[in-house]
Amino acid sequence: MIQHIDVHAVLQESVSGVYTDLVTRPTGRVVRECIERAMATAAADVAVARIDFTGVGCIDYSCADEIVAKLLRTRPGVLVLMGISDGHREAIEPVLAGHRLAVLIERPDGTLEAVGSPDAAAALLEELVARRLAARSPGGTLTLT
Amino acid sequence: MTRLVEVPTQFDDRSFDQFASAFAEAAKDGERLLFDAHAAEWASPYGLVGLLAAGQAAQGTGRASGGSGERPLLTAPTHADVLTYWTRAGFFREAAELFEIHGKVPRVKPAEESDVLLPVTPVRAAEDVHAVVSNIQQRASAILASELGLDPKATMGFAMALSEACQNIVEHAGTGGWVAVQAYHWRRKLAKRVVVIAVADAGVGFRHSLEPTQSKRFGTRWGDAAALEAALIQGVSRFRDPGRGQGLAGIRRYLTRWDGKIAIRSGTARIAIVPKWDDDVPLKDGLPAFPGAQVLIIIPEQGSTKR
Repeated sequence: MIQHIDVHAVLQESVSGVYTDLVTRPTGRVVRECIERAMATAAADVAVARIDFTGVGCIDYSCADEIVAKLLRTRPGVLVLMGISDGHREAIEPVLAGHRLAVLIERPDGTLEAVGSPDAAAALLEELVARRLAARSPGGTLTLT
Repeated sequence: MTRLVEVPTQFDDRSFDQFASAFAEAAKDGERLLFDAHAAEWASPYGLVGLLAAGQAAQGTGRASGGSGERPLLTAPTHADVLTYWTRAGFFREAAELFEIHGKVPRVKPAEESDVLLPVTPVRAAEDVHAVVSNIQQRASAILASELGLDPKATMGFAMALSEACQNIVEHAGTGGWVAVQAYHWRRKLAKRVVVIAVADAGVGFRHSLEPTQSKRFGTRWGDAAALEAALIQGVSRFRDPGRGQGLAGIRRYLTRWDGKIAIRSGTARIAIVPKWDDDVPLKDGLPAFPGAQVLIIIPEQGSTKR
């Protein structure tokens, strides 16, 4: 089972109904804590949390660290990011690489990509297949099952 | 008694040390200060936010030394064009709270559609950073893409860099500060357009902020220069959280990609990541003391930068 979390909605409800950018540590902390609470109340059979960044403007390095890196370090489940723009990736990738972490990004066509530290990214994809949470297409791309 | 601090006629990062020297000399006995900008012919965003930081520091100095606590004086530029530009850049809106201003200040609204991408804006809390990032994305994207030739993707990186630069004030200065962003044609150095971010505060500075966690590591080398080196080159932070220190590292990555420059002055030192088009020195120590931190970021027009 997949849990869907709308980050833009979390931002609007928890921090600001005006701004759409994920900037500053305090903002990142509040948004992460809301996401963690939502994940904690999810059904027991949720194996994947899909964190949807659609509608989020800018993400700075502080928020990438405070939200994505800390969720990866503290939450045992599988995280999949969606609605990720090139600008979002610019912040998320180097932050994760610095922590030797990786995260899954679901592209608009549903295929998965692991970004961050190359070693961690390869291990993440292997784990996903081993746990049968994702399957390879004949073309070699991965999608969630 | 009132001590005079002359504002350089061309007030930017290159003349800032001259200003800092005059400020340090005048402020040492805690007397009321008069900042004399009547002869100013031009000021960069760095000069404007630096002058505000000096005004902020002058108030603190007066009180701490048993002075009257009166606001420092500021003589406004007499040249009409200069006065109008300083007003359009939002300087006097902020200066009115810090200085007793002498001279006629025109009633001009801060710029909304011009090369002033972000007028002088106070940064005191995370909410201010949100406002700055939101405003800059609306106003800067066209100039960054069409005039500087940056990939449209670079706009978001620019907002990230700006956000992190402003957050340094909120998280480390212990006081408020100011940011300003402007695009202009930089004839002297590059003969092309640049976008400049200037951030300044009169807070505790990098050395004080990092001292509890870093001074032992540096031993006798510890000082303003070592603190700047630790922050900008080594990416250390005063926080023990392993994710900290990302901000300046991220700014460096962004500037490397777009051939930009960053220089940070704090206390008696100044550090810079110097691109090939510039002849600045990477590290200067023993400069005239000036409180807080002052950050300069320059992103040049892409495509034909002198090498």
